[in-house]
Amino acid sequence: MKDSCFSISKLLEKYFDQEVTDKERLLIEGHLQDCPACQDALSSMEAIRTLIKVPIEEAAQKEDFPWVWQKIEREIRLQEKLTWWQSLRPWLDLSPLLKKKVWIPAAATIMVLLFITAQIFFKKIPSYSGASVVEYAESETNNIMVYDLEKAKVTIIWLFEGPEEEVIPS
Amino acid sequence: MVIRGAGGGSNPVMKRVFPLIAFFSLLFLFLTSVAFGQAQTRLRVIRASNVGQSIDPPLKELHNELKTLFNFTSYRLLRDENLSLSLNQPVSISAREGRIIMEIILVGLHKNVAELRIRVNREGTEILNTQVRLSPGRTVLIGGPKLREGVIIYALSARF
Repeated sequence: MKDSCFSISKLLEKYFDQEVTDKERLLIEGHLQDCPACQDALSSMEAIRTLIKVPIEEAAQKEDFPWVWQKIEREIRLQEKLTWWQSLRPWLDLSPLLKKKVWIPAAATIMVLLFITAQIFFKKIPSYSGASVVEYAESETNNIMVYDLEKAKVTIIWLFEGPEEEVIPS
Repeated sequence: MVIRGAGGGSNPVMKRVFPLIAFFSLLFLFLTSVAFGQAQTRLRVIRASNVGQSIDPPLKELHNELKTLFNFTSYRLLRDENLSLSLNQPVSISAREGRIIMEIILVGLHKNVAELRIRVNREGTEILNTQVRLSPGRTVLIGGPKLREGVIIYALSARF
């Protein structure tokens, strides 16, 4: 191998892969005419490529590509089917929100809504067990009678309309 | 200079915030509607008298109570109303061609108890002002105002 072989050999692979510039190509081809060592190196590369290419092409000819593509598509679909937890995670990930100040009004709105709702639901509810059904009964014109029948769960408010009233609960 | 609107649909942060606010708003609306819900009540207007001996078939379930409580021989159902009472919204029911008017106002609604303010007016004069607590299974009978040859009885029961 000549002294320039070292620099040419660096370009030889690129030349073999047809990735050199026109200038480089002319330089290499000029060198190859006078250099049997580099010619051998190029021949070796071609031999190796042929060695690899032939079995791959044979295998490719045997392979049913539509079927392979179907398998690939199925795999993609299986990977795309996220679990409920995976689909929920982006929603629970609040880090983008924390980076922006937009969460302040959002959180404030939610807090106000929760506060109002809590006021409604957690206020002390009076217990009416044992309390009278009638809180009050008044009339400026008539007498009133209030009567509770606990067994029948009936409460009567009776309005007496005058002294001749005779229709009273028995 | 390019100014981007805060509500831009393409902003991923806003895309995440708006559904959250919408969800909580809907939840709030739902919960408040439950809390401030309506009380379903049934009001039957009955004319009781001693003329004849008939009891209207729809009053059969009340017959035993009525028979035990009163001396009337005839009970006629004049009106049977299902009332949807909203808080502080008065509902009026008239009888005797509008001369007796009952006004019912839901003033409180708690778990299984509806507080009702009831006013009965006869020809513009208030003859009864009462407040009762109505719970499921309980019937409140308000009676006494004269109606022709008998009296009028209002039977109020809960439907919630």
